[in-house]
Amino acid sequence: MTNHLPALLAAADTSKMPSVGYGALIALVVFILASLWIGALANRRTREGSFMTGFFLGNRGLGAWALALTATVQSGGTFMGFPSLVYTHGWIVALWIGGYIVVPITGFGILGKRLAQLSRRTEAITVPDLFRSRFGSPALGLVASLFILLYLSFMMFAQFKAGAIVMKTAWPGSGVLSVNEDQKPFTLTAQSLSTLKDDGLSDVVADKLTPLIGHGFSTERELTAQLKSLLTADELTESKDRIVKQSKQWDRLYLYGLAIFSLTVVAYTLMGGFLAAVWTDMFQSVLMFFGVMVLLFASLHQAGGLENATRTALKNTGPGYVYGPGYDDKFEGPKAAPNATTAPRMAYDAAVPREFLPLSLALSFFCVWVWSGVGSPASLVRLMASQNTEVIRRSIYLLSVYNLGIYLPLIVICICGRALIPELPGQTDEIIPRMALLATKDWPGGSLIAGMILAAPFGAVMSTVSSYLVVLSSGLVRDIYQRFIRPQATPGELRKAAYLSMIFVGAVAVAVNISPVAYLQAFIVFSATGSAATFLIPSIMACYWRRATVAGALAGMTGGASTVLSLYLLGILEKTPEQRIGQLTSFRPYYLCDFDPFLWGVLVSGLCGILVSLLTSPPDKALLSKMFDKETAK
Amino acid sequence: MTDNTDPVVRTGRREALIVVGIWLTAAVWSVTTSYRLGYNRPVEELKLIWGFPEWTFWGVAVPWVVCVVISWIFGALFVHDSHLGEELPEEADELGLGG
Repeated sequence: MTNHLPALLAAADTSKMPSVGYGALIALVVFILASLWIGALANRRTREGSFMTGFFLGNRGLGAWALALTATVQSGGTFMGFPSLVYTHGWIVALWIGGYIVVPITGFGILGKRLAQLSRRTEAITVPDLFRSRFGSPALGLVASLFILLYLSFMMFAQFKAGAIVMKTAWPGSGVLSVNEDQKPFTLTAQSLSTLKDDGLSDVVADKLTPLIGHGFSTERELTAQLKSLLTADELTESKDRIVKQSKQWDRLYLYGLAIFSLTVVAYTLMGGFLAAVWTDMFQSVLMFFGVMVLLFASLHQAGGLENATRTALKNTGPGYVYGPGYDDKFEGPKAAPNATTAPRMAYDAAVPREFLPLSLALSFFCVWVWSGVGSPASLVRLMASQNTEVIRRSIYLLSVYNLGIYLPLIVICICGRALIPELPGQTDEIIPRMALLATKDWPGGSLIAGMILAAPFGAVMSTVSSYLVVLSSGLVRDIYQRFIRPQATPGELRKAAYLSMIFVGAVAVAVNISPVAYLQAFIVFSATGSAATFLIPSIMACYWRRATVAGALAGMTGGASTVLSLYLLGILEKTPEQRIGQLTSFRPYYLCDFDPFLWGVLVSGLCGILVSLLTSPPDKALLSKMFDKETAK
Repeated sequence: MTDNTDPVVRTGRREALIVVGIWLTAAVWSVTTSYRLGYNRPVEELKLIWGFPEWTFWGVAVPWVVCVVISWIFGALFVHDSHLGEELPEEADELGLGG
């Protein structure tokens, strides 16, 4: 921890907070109203067919825009973390995200058509439904729904927290510009320090606290321990309580944010179900696209072109910024390399402590982005809801252009960002909001445009949460209530159950987030890759392999899940030697042979699936014929 | 026995294999090109093309544009229109409730 301090010390005074004004708040209110309106619209459409397919699957009527822009776009969190990575590590992140070049084809071309067909033949509404009917096994369906409920709950809890923080961000003068999902409960920000000073904190103490800016502590005790080492006994007794209070992140604004956020999301999802989730997602994706375009031209203009930006960014950092395996400011930052003139400076040498993207991880991520997009339950559901093959085809066209227009420009924007804002210690998450403020400051109505860009993460988080809400509630109602508790439930009872389950899930999420637990984050990190590693291979088996058996699918699911889980646990519990590769996060997995856990999960899942299927007796012919053969005339 | 296989299964499987092929090609091209041009290089030899480091240009940007074109060709040629199942009535499908 202490080795971060020098860099922080040097730059702490440059991190003056730009003011956001009311732009973000206005944009946020617009977002909320638009979402509620979308919910009401979706509500009308949902009423056309039966409640269950209407509410949970939009009557299988997703069009190309809805399918393309929502099925494989990553969650709000991923989208916000990405710019920060580019800003921190440089051009190498282009290779990190490189898998996205084929995501439009793989996401729709591998399972799309067949999955849409299967879900119609099995009359499936949810992913567990599909497994249950395709293999004729209620037990398999139950296991699938338990997995999905578990993963999605964890992922959703994190999003509620993110949503609450964005609400807080939008508040004028809140002193935060962006969401950091790793945000620890106790963090001293530049803003809170200046509040303390206004409050009568002496300059001597304030100077001693400066190095702590941007540092997170999980507990009050950790913060106090750090304070004890920095301050004298007298200073400590005098100002400790005030400092702790100011550092506390889960303050009143956060709680208001949490309340407003939860009410909005649950309300519009309750009204419009699946369609509301998909449509808000689409709305937010389109806005994001325009935001990125505006920002791209503005930043290129300010940085004097990309070539200039790259060279200036390189000057601000080091060779790792333009080469693999990525820039590491702890090692090759301006203060770390005193005599670089003697030998040609390489991006990498044996003494470089941290490699962001060694070859093994570059390969890993080419698989991770592609195959987790194919196998994640949320994507599978959307494919099941697609209208026809024409829609799938048009989605490929659309998404290929959309991805190119979002990710490459985002990289360029952040490179310009590094050229224009040389350092952002501890606040690299704020790069996009800061660029938005910088780019629009001279424009008429600039604060509103900046507000729109600032509020974009809110839209992303909201739509992610609402789509998780739908899947969770469909899991509870369809896969548990209707299948096991009350098979004879009437549509009215199902509707009531669906509403109750959403309110219940929302309430649990709020309860968990009133005072967030640090360990939750570990499971969230694991859930995203874990869920894809669990369902990818079994889905492929379900679609294309006649010989796949119930036991095989079951083995595939548990094999993938347990492999990823154990590799993450090994890393998180620090049972394995520290590896200095990859992203610097508080919850690192163990990279077995330097490859990402997802790869090992899929490998084990595939082996288990195939071997166990071949070892168990072949599945029933009549069932297979129903799933695989031409439909006989009825 | 397999003669009776539904055409969607057969074309779907074929298209999936083609896509896997495209993915593999893209991965191998992108990673090897980037590694060859962009790892273990002295910073004095940095070449920029349109502001992109040389390796990013050939390893990521160009393949990205190529993949967009391929996606369009793939969509036009391969994703055949097929009936995804007509047994479900377009509207008022009560089947969603039974299961």
